[in-house]
Amino acid sequence: MSFYAEFRMLSEKAMTFNFPPEMPLTEVFRGRHVLDMEKCVGCGLCEKICPNLAITMVERGEADEKRSYPQVDYGKCCFCGLCEDICPREALKLSHFPFIVVLGRDALVYPPEKLAEPPKLEHPVPPKIKGITNWAISRSFWVNFFFTGCCFIEAAPWVGSGFDMERFGMLAKGSPRHSDVLLIGGYVTVKTLRRILRIYEQMPCPKYVITLGCCPVNGGTYWDSYNTINNLEKYMPVDIMIAGCPPRPEPIGLAVVLAMNAVQSGYMGKEEKVNKEEGFLEVPSVEESREEGEYSIPFGPQHPASGNFDVYFKLEGEHVKSARPNPGYLHRGFEKLMEYRTWWQNIMLVQRVCVLDGASYELSYIGAVEKLAGVEVSRRVKYLRTIQAELCRIQSHLLNLGLIGGATGFDTMVRIAWGDRERILLLLEKLTGGRIYHIYNIPGGVRRDLPSNFKDDFKKEMKYMLKQLDLYDNLCFNNPVFNGRTKELGVLPGDMAVRLDVTGPNARASGVRFDVRKASPYETYDELEFNVVTSEGSDAYSRVLCRRKEIEESLYIVENALEKIPGGKLFERNAKGGLRLSPFSPLPKGETIHCVESARGELCFHLVSNGKNTPYRAKIRGPTFDSILVAMPKVLEDEHVAEIPVIYWSLDNCPADHDR
Amino acid sequence: MAPSVLEVLKQEFQGEYTREKVFSFVKVQKEKYFDAAKLLRENGFERLLTVSAIDWLDENEFEVYFLVYNPAENVYVKVSTRIPRENPEIQSLSSIWENSAMHEREVWELFGITFEGNTMLKPLFLEGWKGPHPFLKDFDWRKYVKEFPM
Repeated sequence: MSFYAEFRMLSEKAMTFNFPPEMPLTEVFRGRHVLDMEKCVGCGLCEKICPNLAITMVERGEADEKRSYPQVDYGKCCFCGLCEDICPREALKLSHFPFIVVLGRDALVYPPEKLAEPPKLEHPVPPKIKGITNWAISRSFWVNFFFTGCCFIEAAPWVGSGFDMERFGMLAKGSPRHSDVLLIGGYVTVKTLRRILRIYEQMPCPKYVITLGCCPVNGGTYWDSYNTINNLEKYMPVDIMIAGCPPRPEPIGLAVVLAMNAVQSGYMGKEEKVNKEEGFLEVPSVEESREEGEYSIPFGPQHPASGNFDVYFKLEGEHVKSARPNPGYLHRGFEKLMEYRTWWQNIMLVQRVCVLDGASYELSYIGAVEKLAGVEVSRRVKYLRTIQAELCRIQSHLLNLGLIGGATGFDTMVRIAWGDRERILLLLEKLTGGRIYHIYNIPGGVRRDLPSNFKDDFKKEMKYMLKQLDLYDNLCFNNPVFNGRTKELGVLPGDMAVRLDVTGPNARASGVRFDVRKASPYETYDELEFNVVTSEGSDAYSRVLCRRKEIEESLYIVENALEKIPGGKLFERNAKGGLRLSPFSPLPKGETIHCVESARGELCFHLVSNGKNTPYRAKIRGPTFDSILVAMPKVLEDEHVAEIPVIYWSLDNCPADHDR
Repeated sequence: MAPSVLEVLKQEFQGEYTREKVFSFVKVQKEKYFDAAKLLRENGFERLLTVSAIDWLDENEFEVYFLVYNPAENVYVKVSTRIPRENPEIQSLSSIWENSAMHEREVWELFGITFEGNTMLKPLFLEGWKGPHPFLKDFDWRKYVKEFPM
């Protein structure tokens, strides 16, 4: 690390946010509902549009003056805001209040009276300290993280310098036998549950379980998938539930403070109880056939560097002989879930396919739907979509830089890159109202206009980011240690990349000059100037460098787009053949494909309509299916076992994308 | 543009053919499915994006299709064919495009379509699943979730 970089970091202000109540929340964030009971006419449209069946109409009042009002179950709500959009009287609105942290499922159901109250942050009750041991445990929680689903993305900032879990004495731990807290990061499938139960059993008492998001509580967005565990409490005890989809990092902090106070007051966790459904939920034993001198080791799904994905390696000495990916921990069946929801409702489902880069999935789906409907959106909308997609690409690449930092044992990079990512997320939140899942696009337009001071905010952040990219070069790319850990590792030759259908930065780092944004420009990429970043190295270093350069390129694209953005309609209702787009309107018969360049490569949506208001078939071709399940085993051959995490993350996996 | 290859596909394989900007949709007979793939591969379609299926329940047929891309000419072609829903079988493309084996494995698991010549047909996403192939149209998830809540 250069002295310059070190001095700069010493002289600058800390990037850690203060903990509540001074939180960096924008007014547009989609949080808890507020109901105006005077205005509500009980039409029930919110109940009808809700894709998760989170809203039910309940009756209130005396016998002859009965009226119905919405009741919201935050164990199911995904905060998409479709109910707010459709409400004809503006009676049901979303506030920007994110704190819904409870100790039991029942407390997540908000009747109309509770929804009518303005949200207020209740600070946790100060603890009555019971003994030094309790105090000590609460001040040194070792958290066993299991990134079961999308919500991990909001637990990750706590590792970075933006939120900084270490100030609470918390440490992220890979080994269950050394952990006090099991943090379940979101959606749980049957396959994942088997692993969770095993990890839970291995943890020593007292142990505490915190679940993130709606999915482990009530199935959340995927309540109707055949592979979803709809009620985790049926199988193991859960102490604290944090609602949200995904919850913001701030409520996670609130849950931590709650847990600390409870433990200091003498709470020892719920009684250990595991229901394995008579052995159905045992982890199946894997017997790999192997020759003499061969070792077989699993990598993941509960590994700090794996994500919810696993690979079986066969080693000869310390070198990889073969690798067999074992995906499916995040298989929700998105394609069939989409068949059950209307074209409009699906806008809140598609970006969930890949939590790391949701905007591209929105763009790809919306592009395909608009082709089917035959609607032409205004240029302003196209520019807004471009800005959203590029900002999302930047944050995805920053996340990957942090992960590479983690894989190479270079923790400074994790802290800095993820700290910077928070600033981009804040921009996205100002633009779209969501940090991770923007739900910004609707068929025919976007849901909100550019905020008035967005250009200035972006200029400030761009100046900062360009300075930071210099810092990354100093810290990382010119660093001989980092070079030594990444150069000439995991070589993916260009011809192999094409043959195995690897796209995106992974292929461009092998000299393949292919970018959907240039090859078949969508949105406004034909009007904006940018370079396709390529490199010839074909190794892990080139792939990471490619992403770092793409961040710069994307910053210029957004700057350019903000300069050029014209005026125009935000929503075009009239489509081909006199069709008027509305939340329940059917689309004409036909099929269409729309491809975009996501942060990981080429992403296509193939939609088939049979003239109804739901898709007949939706096929998502994600970029990681081939780059990870097909190409990765070949890239890893003959590599040293210690380099697996580096190579794996240099290929930038998103398990949710290939599992779907 | 590569009209020649598509022209050949249309005539030699009696395929139905529609175009939408860079995307071409070709329908061929089951017997011509593999040959069409081979022809495309020989004519610069280096990348196979996906192999997938659609369950046309009312017609009692599966539509099996693949999507390929020609980087030199920037053309995407989707080739599809119909096969009966009972004992669905079709030739594997794994000898033409290496990555198709994994895509076919997914289709085998989710739709139950067998690909002759694919040696990878083992469960991919699901572990210990004993129910019907989950992506079939006659498997109602909402009913299933109600009957067997997990």
